[in-house]
Amino acid sequence: MAVSDLAHASKVSASARGGHVDIARLSVLALVAVLALLPLLAGGFLLYSLSLSIANAVAVLSVSMLVRYGGEVSIGHSFFVALGAYAVAIVEHRLGLSIAVSLPLAILLGAGGGFIFAFPSRRLSGIYLAVATMALALALPEILIGFEKFTGGFEGLYIAQDLVPGVSKALQRYYVTLVVLIVVCLALAHFRKSAQGLALLMAQAQPRAAEAMGITRSWARISIFTVSAALASLAGALTGFASSTVSPNSFTFFSGVFLLVGSVVSLNRLSLPAALVGGAFITLVPTYLAKAGDWVPILYGVALVAVTLAANAGDLRRFVPGRRAR
Amino acid sequence: MTVAAGSGLVADGISLGFGGLQVLSDVSLTLRPGVITGLIGPNGAGKTSLFNCLTGLYRGQRGHSSFAGRPLDGMGPAQRAGCGITRSFQNLAMCPDLSLLENVLVGLTLKRRSGWFSAFVPTPAQRAEQQDTERRAMAALNELGIASAAHQKPSDLPPGTLRLAEIARAIASEPRAILLDEPAAGLNAVETRDLIRALKRLMRPDLVLLVVEHDMDLIMELCEHIYVLNFGKMIADGTPAEIRAHPDVIRVYLGDDADD
Repeated sequence: MAVSDLAHASKVSASARGGHVDIARLSVLALVAVLALLPLLAGGFLLYSLSLSIANAVAVLSVSMLVRYGGEVSIGHSFFVALGAYAVAIVEHRLGLSIAVSLPLAILLGAGGGFIFAFPSRRLSGIYLAVATMALALALPEILIGFEKFTGGFEGLYIAQDLVPGVSKALQRYYVTLVVLIVVCLALAHFRKSAQGLALLMAQAQPRAAEAMGITRSWARISIFTVSAALASLAGALTGFASSTVSPNSFTFFSGVFLLVGSVVSLNRLSLPAALVGGAFITLVPTYLAKAGDWVPILYGVALVAVTLAANAGDLRRFVPGRRAR
Repeated sequence: MTVAAGSGLVADGISLGFGGLQVLSDVSLTLRPGVITGLIGPNGAGKTSLFNCLTGLYRGQRGHSSFAGRPLDGMGPAQRAGCGITRSFQNLAMCPDLSLLENVLVGLTLKRRSGWFSAFVPTPAQRAEQQDTERRAMAALNELGIASAAHQKPSDLPPGTLRLAEIARAIASEPRAILLDEPAAGLNAVETRDLIRALKRLMRPDLVLLVVEHDMDLIMELCEHIYVLNFGKMIADGTPAEIRAHPDVIRVYLGDDADD
């Protein structure tokens, strides 16, 4: 029930006109209020899982952003997530500094890494880009194990430093990730109206026309990938902070695929409710279905097919005479 | 008529071929500022190819082009846009996700200076720039009489409005040259009249304006100087009266006139 409400809220905001705007805004505000009060009801493992869901919601947004503004699919965003997570851990271990320092650093690192990847692949698109990103995801565990001196190898590293001393660890994890997610959603809403946001949407829909307005395809590809990687790295920093640990286990090849699954489940939308649905899906399903073991990938597959069919049903409805789907 | 080198958009001896097909052979034209220039020719005459050479989408195999004395050879569409040359597209090049106003705003991208930081975080400078560009885009829509549709999506609007919006987008950035590819395609008689009026109104002494059309009547009414292209060759150029009386043009267009 709750999930369908959230999905509905995001739909309203997408096609908001006139009076609908207020309903959409109010329901998102109500959702924020509920999220803010949730730690009163939930504690322990549930709160921990929720914190991770929120961190993963940011990671899902980074993939959705690449889809929405770049029209591209990345399987390897777990690479940039890992970059951010390890940045937090290594800054703490080497320099003894908290995420107050490493969070902005993670964003810069992600942007740098994204640019370094995007520049040589600026002429790639579609399946070719997706395969190139796969290389990142495949190389990642080897890199993490290879640089054992920094990354702690198989065992990984612990993240122990608090951001605000004196507040319980569980509450910190929850509220820091929640605040960052809300800020990210606001920033993305602002981005939609910005010169760069409009230019990217135009470059994707009408590449030739965009070029005639001075927006080159390589600019579009490099910039959206860089921004999306920066966001993924920020999400990684949050994931590290929320789970208090980083290890190669959390960044296997499948982590990148799961992020894509989360993005599809949230219908690639960039709203707060959609991001939460995607983040919760990829976090809670494996956690609570751990007993199902081998069935988890199958459940993912079923969910993907179901969501894809449901999403396309909306498109197909447009062709039924006398009915207008929005 | 001689034109001082360095004024307007000049194409000199442009040749273009695809495989064995010679689309343009040794075509030259001069688009002077302050004059509405027309380019006509029957279907397949090479109008759009020449247009695409001028905007940098195609590279002519031979020949040179320059704008205000600055050579354009080797420049792509984005760089030519940077020189102040804008164009419209024959097929409506609107982004379906953006409102009409936002579609016009994109045309102002090169004029905007706000950086990546302010793309995510609102700053006073960014807000001022946003308001300024929105005002300019609205003014452009107003100029073409479609400001009332500013907040609608392209899919909810008739093709005539979108065609005018394309032109609004081209003029919003206050370019030095506007090249319009069949701006009247798909317009009804009333919309065409509005278009002619709008184009005449936006003409300024320092603006280069080229209209590519196969609608002879529109060109005759709108343009002061006309080039006629046939089978990739420039067969005539002159005032509407001269073109109307030109024997080659009559021969080329006689069939078309008889059909109409």
